[in-house]
Amino acid sequence: MLEMTRVTKAYRTDLLETHALREFSLKVDKGEFVAVTGPSGSGKTTFLNVAGLLETFDSGSYQLDGVDVSKLDDDARSNVRNHKIGFIFQSFNLIPDLNVFDNVDVPLRYRRMPANERRERINSALDLVGLTSRVKHLPSQLSGGQQQRVAIARALAGDPALLLADEPTGNLDSLMARQVMDLLEQINGMGATIVMVTHDPELARRAHRNVQVIDGQITDYKPYEAHSASVTVLHPPAGDAAAFG
Amino acid sequence: MFTYDLRLALDSLRRHPGLSALMVLAIALGIAVCTVTFTIYHAMSTNPIPHKSSQLYAVTLDTWSADRPYDDDKPENTPQLLTYRDATFLHEAKAAPRSVIMYKSGALLLPERSGVKPFNANLRVTSHDFFSMFDVPFQYGQGWDATADSEPQPVVVLSDETNQKVFAGENSVGRTLKLGKVEYRVAGVLQPWAPSPKFFDLNNGAFEDPEDVYVPYGWGRSLELPVYGNTNCWKAESGDTYQDFLNSECVWLQYWAELPTTADRDRFQAFVDNYARSQKAAGRMPRPLNNRLYDVGQWLDRNEVVQRDNRVLIGIALLFLGVCLVNVVGLLLAKFLNAAPLTGLRRALGASRRDIVRQHMMEVLVIGLAGGVLGLLLAIGGLAGIRAIYGSDFNRGAYQRLTEIDPVVVVVTLALALLAGAIAGLYPAWRIGRTAPAIYLKTQ
Amino acid sequence: MDIKPILSSLRRSPTGAILVALQIALALAITVNSLYIITQRLELIGRDPGMDVKNIFFVGFVPSGDKYQGEVTMREDLAILRGLPGVLAATTVNAVPLSGGGSSTSMYTEPNEKGRRGDMNYFQVDEQGVQTFGVRLAEGRNFDATAVTKPARMSSESPSEILITKDVARDMFPGEPALGKTVYTGTSQPATVVGIIDHMHGSWPGWDKVGNVALFPVIADETFARYMVRARPGQRDEAMQMAEDALNKLDNGRVIIRVRSLEYVAASTYADDRAMATYLSVVIALLLGISALGIFGLAAFNVSTRTKQIGTRRAVGARRADILHYFLAENWLITTVGVVIGCVLALLLGYWLSTTFELPRLKLYYLVLGAVALWIVSLVAALRPARRASLVSPAIATRTV
Repeated sequence: MLEMTRVTKAYRTDLLETHALREFSLKVDKGEFVAVTGPSGSGKTTFLNVAGLLETFDSGSYQLDGVDVSKLDDDARSNVRNHKIGFIFQSFNLIPDLNVFDNVDVPLRYRRMPANERRERINSALDLVGLTSRVKHLPSQLSGGQQQRVAIARALAGDPALLLADEPTGNLDSLMARQVMDLLEQINGMGATIVMVTHDPELARRAHRNVQVIDGQITDYKPYEAHSASVTVLHPPAGDAAAFG
Repeated sequence: MFTYDLRLALDSLRRHPGLSALMVLAIALGIAVCTVTFTIYHAMSTNPIPHKSSQLYAVTLDTWSADRPYDDDKPENTPQLLTYRDATFLHEAKAAPRSVIMYKSGALLLPERSGVKPFNANLRVTSHDFFSMFDVPFQYGQGWDATADSEPQPVVVLSDETNQKVFAGENSVGRTLKLGKVEYRVAGVLQPWAPSPKFFDLNNGAFEDPEDVYVPYGWGRSLELPVYGNTNCWKAESGDTYQDFLNSECVWLQYWAELPTTADRDRFQAFVDNYARSQKAAGRMPRPLNNRLYDVGQWLDRNEVVQRDNRVLIGIALLFLGVCLVNVVGLLLAKFLNAAPLTGLRRALGASRRDIVRQHMMEVLVIGLAGGVLGLLLAIGGLAGIRAIYGSDFNRGAYQRLTEIDPVVVVVTLALALLAGAIAGLYPAWRIGRTAPAIYLKTQ
Repeated sequence: MDIKPILSSLRRSPTGAILVALQIALALAITVNSLYIITQRLELIGRDPGMDVKNIFFVGFVPSGDKYQGEVTMREDLAILRGLPGVLAATTVNAVPLSGGGSSTSMYTEPNEKGRRGDMNYFQVDEQGVQTFGVRLAEGRNFDATAVTKPARMSSESPSEILITKDVARDMFPGEPALGKTVYTGTSQPATVVGIIDHMHGSWPGWDKVGNVALFPVIADETFARYMVRARPGQRDEAMQMAEDALNKLDNGRVIIRVRSLEYVAASTYADDRAMATYLSVVIALLLGISALGIFGLAAFNVSTRTKQIGTRRAVGARRADILHYFLAENWLITTVGVVIGCVLALLLGYWLSTTFELPRLKLYYLVLGAVALWIVSLVAALRPARRASLVSPAIATRTV
């Protein structure tokens, strides 16, 4: 699914050059749930930005879902982000002026999807995260946990190949955090590939595999263990099983 | 607290130099346009002789044709000038405590000393009361008396400008100069005097320069001095001589009466009406009785001195200021809300809502004042530009007088700028004061 | 283009949008009406006066001594003027057209002030008058030299043949030819219309009958007379100097007091109208400038408060062009609301102006012109902030500061 080979990214100012990622290589298979951990300043955020095509990198190669995305132009990268990646941010990043429905709608609009198809996808995504009763609410009227779940619905609505989560529970209390992690596991169980960046080892343990980043390089590498058999598949709405296939 | 508020305001402005400059500029432009327009309007609508304007009256009679009125658009308007017969009668009857009969003329002025080119001087052929009635200030010498009018005596009064030109500004009383064929002695020289508007004679433009030389009234008839103002005749009359002209129904003379009290005014009106009735009985003045007295203010209105154009311009200037203010409100709002986290911090540290509003209003007033000063400078430049571009010979005096900045305008301008700034700043300052500090302290 | 998120966003914080719309509305109202007044004035100034304005000049003189011999002296001077190289024609005249000063009279189609009346602004010229003015005779002929008279100064004697403009002809003889007809002064003196001038402006450009002009074959009285000279094209200024020099050399009892071109006189008369047009043009320019700067400022602020949102949108797949279009669409929406309100305000203002100040009513295509101008101004002003928005990096979305 995700294959980064010897990716290097440096930030250059007039005075110094910081290597955020150095010869970074990572392979994530379809259906995996990987946690990327490391101390602050280790390059986790850079990794996330590169993996999510939010930033370019200097050397190396990156293959996503079978496509070489190393040297795409800005429009092409936007396109890949739209179709293949779903983001979940630490501070939710919902658009405050839009209600829940419209927030989930945002990525679908950039795909120029017809209205009824969008509605269907939005409703089923909201159903999955359990927020269909709050469709008209504004983010300011929701709790932190609810906002994150809307963000997850937004990430899922476009049926992405890869979910990238950046400290998804960082701004939540322990109860809501657990809810969100349960949801992520559920989604993973339905076949979604998730890469989660976190500094919390507790959180990392809920993933199948941990990867540690220090000074821009991978230092740990636990092989994939066949956990998938132990995951319970909760009832997905009709039609969605195929979406995650 | 005032100096602290001021310091905060200046700091805040310095932090966003672009935005602040934009706001100052917006107010400055709005103020400049208003000031230029108001200056001209103010100059046009000033009372030129405030202490006496309700005592001096222009006298008019409706001597016009039976078939059509003098003014087709406003049939109730009387002609602004009188016939020779009517003016002479009223003046000689001494029905008013003081009155003046006059008209504008011209003659070739031949200076006494060589080296000064002869030129065509504008004359005011007038009876002696002109100077006392209109409070005309003398530099040297004085006017003449009733005998000088009637004989007539060869004396003249010069304007300051003419005195400069012909006698190099010296005390020329007693010196002589030639007008046309007659040699006159200088009896007096006026101080620089140019009432604006030139209310006593609006025939050739409300703001033109005053005459060069003042000549006793009797010379008009004696020398048959030409009429440089208007001559309007409705009646077709055949005639070949100057006397025929004097007897005709042509109107060409200006006649003013000084009527200090209401009693004087009523008495004079009655006298004029009676005279008109007697003339009607004799077959003249076919139109209905309509003899009007106008005080200075009314006279300026009747002659539409403040043109329509200027009123339109005032309206447009105010609307322009409005647009500038809307602009400033938007920018202030943006600026204040952008600095909201800082404001929130201050609130958290103990500033009250009133402190916040006051501090922001201080900023607004600084912008208003800066805008006012800049606007004033721009206005001065603008008025100078108008003077430069439009000061041709014909209009130079007029545009000079209309575009002068006087202290009243300066004060009003700065006050307007502060007021404008304050109005613009009210809503943004209120908005920023209203929001709870907590909202702005939270990260998104 | 998806309008819904723009509308939702505007509904939540409408103040900025209201201010921009209001500003645009006022600017439109002012611009449209000012533009209209400007075109009216320029039309007024640009009217064809029918004369050779560029090449005509006037010599003012005053009789100064006993040497002066009236008509004889004037003919002497005219001979000199006509003899100058660079001069096409010269005549005496009683007044200067377009100057605000002149004489007018009324004539009738029947004696004793009966019949139709024609008001005419008359100019007393000799046989070279038509040529000096440079007017075109549509019908008939010019005066002969023999028809030119010099009546006594206060005389009410009237010429026996006259030239009138088509405007006068239309007033006095509507629908029929005026050439050859007889008209009568107020004192029933007859005059024959020997020629019809195509068109000519008289002394008072502000008069609604400014085209009612007549030429009389009369040598004007020296109290008011001037010499009118028409120079060859392009040689006016030299001719003016030569004329003054030549006349000054001759000492025949008159003093030359002023030599002035008709162009100067016309410019002076129209100075107020030109000033009005210039003033309003400056106001329009300042208005559009300030509006542009204001819209720019607010748009830039708008973008700067929404960088996180922009980054998020980019992260979920918006291209740079999508962001650009979003902000331009938002700007366009607000502008359009402003334009619509502005059109209403412009019409109201125009109506008020026309009733209060007796100006003609506002024409609709000015509204279109003004609306287009403001759309363009608004678009240009919002372009840079919108572009800057589109360049916001998607990586902003992951930033937690």
